[in-house]
Amino acid sequence: MPTRTILVASAILLVAAIAGAPLVLNEGFLRLATECLLLLTMAQMWNLLAGYAGLVSLGHQVFIAFGAYALFLTSGWLEVTPIWVLPVAPLVAGAVAAIIAFPLFRLRDAYFSIAMWVFAEIIGAFTMKSQAVGGTSGVPLATSRLIDFDWFEPTMFWLAGGLTLVTIAALYRMMTSSFGLGLMSVRDNDLAAMSVGVDVRLNRFVAFVLSAAGCGFAGALNFMGNLFIAPLAAFDVNWSVYMMFIVIIGGIGTLEGPILGVIIFFGLRELMTGPLGLSGGWYLVGLGIIAVVVMIVAPRGLWPALRDRIGVRLLDVHRAAPRPAAAAILPAASEQVTG
Amino acid sequence: MIWVETLINGALLGGLYGLLGIGLALVFGVMRVVNIAHGEFMVLSAFCAVLLANLFPQASPLLMLIPVIALSFAVGWLYQAAIVNRVVTSPDPLSPLLLTFGVSVILRNVMVEVFGADVRSLQVGELSRASLEVAGLNIGIMPLLTLVLAALLFMALQLVLRHTEFGRIVRATADRRDIVRLSGVKPDRVYNYVMGLSLALGAIGGVLLAVRSSFTPFSGAERLLIAFEVVVLGGLGSFWGALLGGIALGMAQLIGLKIDPNAGLLYAHHLFFIMLLIRPSGLVSSRV
Repeated sequence: MPTRTILVASAILLVAAIAGAPLVLNEGFLRLATECLLLLTMAQMWNLLAGYAGLVSLGHQVFIAFGAYALFLTSGWLEVTPIWVLPVAPLVAGAVAAIIAFPLFRLRDAYFSIAMWVFAEIIGAFTMKSQAVGGTSGVPLATSRLIDFDWFEPTMFWLAGGLTLVTIAALYRMMTSSFGLGLMSVRDNDLAAMSVGVDVRLNRFVAFVLSAAGCGFAGALNFMGNLFIAPLAAFDVNWSVYMMFIVIIGGIGTLEGPILGVIIFFGLRELMTGPLGLSGGWYLVGLGIIAVVVMIVAPRGLWPALRDRIGVRLLDVHRAAPRPAAAAILPAASEQVTG
Repeated sequence: MIWVETLINGALLGGLYGLLGIGLALVFGVMRVVNIAHGEFMVLSAFCAVLLANLFPQASPLLMLIPVIALSFAVGWLYQAAIVNRVVTSPDPLSPLLLTFGVSVILRNVMVEVFGADVRSLQVGELSRASLEVAGLNIGIMPLLTLVLAALLFMALQLVLRHTEFGRIVRATADRRDIVRLSGVKPDRVYNYVMGLSLALGAIGGVLLAVRSSFTPFSGAERLLIAFEVVVLGGLGSFWGALLGGIALGMAQLIGLKIDPNAGLLYAHHLFFIMLLIRPSGLVSSRV
């Protein structure tokens, strides 16, 4: 069966599963599933930047916060149901990324990572000082009375599911396009990429803005589900920690990696904080140890290691090498030329 | 007059900040790794000092620096040998960054679970309140001692790196990791000592900072950001630059606190960010 058919079939199955899940799952499970999907989207966005554009951001929480605050404030000013102002979240987060990219892109590697972190700290400090956005105590969702609470959880789940599917589909489409090829060539060797005419800065810029916009969208949905936002939760560096661990454990620079990573992330959390009765701190310790061990033993992550062993390719964006038949023609042709 | 005093106190605080940065700069200079867990190791050494001070209440808490420094050196040696050396030659420059970030998350949460999230500080009694009066200015003895100690350590480090065999080996390893092997140097072992030295310097900074202000297991991130800003502001490769960078940050922070008492590190972060905007190439230029 051709890959395309499998992909279309599984996409239809997934859409059906997400559409039907709220009818089957109870509210607690639905909330957990929503959380999983949102974190998966964020991890994919972090992966787009780190795994494909080669930029590790330790301050990505700032885009989550920008998206969420943008939603809360706009919804309050316009007095409309938060769902209708959702597009504001990615727009604001993306716009902030587009502006901040100019100074930050002068920095490479660890400098970029930590400068992003400092930027997040500065914006977080300003938010805590500014009474207009609620200061340290945060703001409730002003328009929560406009929400139909009978359908709130299912709607949040559908939005999160839709966002995840669209994100993954768009990333797959992007990575199989010439833009994605350019992006990966920049990651692998920016000098070589430049020499064949790839615009390195533009590629990085687009990846950065898209990554920020996606995180803003997912962050807005996350805090909309809580009906409340406070700077300590929104600017928590743990957002970056979660995104990073999920991507590192699952497999950096692959689309399937974060999916596997999210499964491990939540599986471990439910196991450690549920039946084992451990605190959130020990859970993060456990997750950190797994991430460190994976980085040392399988630096590309678990999915690439697993894929090579079982030979299954799901959302593979690798180009196939020239077929043996085609390769056999080439030496013959060159012989003719030299002969 | 009050502003002069603020500037002087900022400079004194800057000596301490220079100490926070120097360990990070050393590791980066030698093995091109930014050790994100540096701040967490500093907090860990502060916790060790508090524990030891509680065990031996009759001894001066500053004496605890000696065992804590030795312990930090050993921890750094093991940390490098067991973990960081495995990725230090990785072709991907991001691997050490991600790995040390993972370690910092582990350390932070272990400290939260073991020591609790309460605010702690290291009490040194009279010494922390003692002050000198020079030309109508009040200058704390403890911050002054800290700056003197920082300057002495910087000088000692400079001398060791310039004029001893160990220093030559470290500099050679920093320049050409592959070539020093021809002279019988094992780069990985050099790295072990450098990381030990880095964490020992970090321990001095961490313990002295714990005397000056309180800390929690979450303070590591703040300390790392200060250390990083110090290194970048001062320019890489220059130890005296790190001291100057620390002084600039210390002044920015205290002036900020005068303007707005709960600004925290905001103004230090501002200084760093503005410098990045106006002098990026000069700041990022690294020694090769």
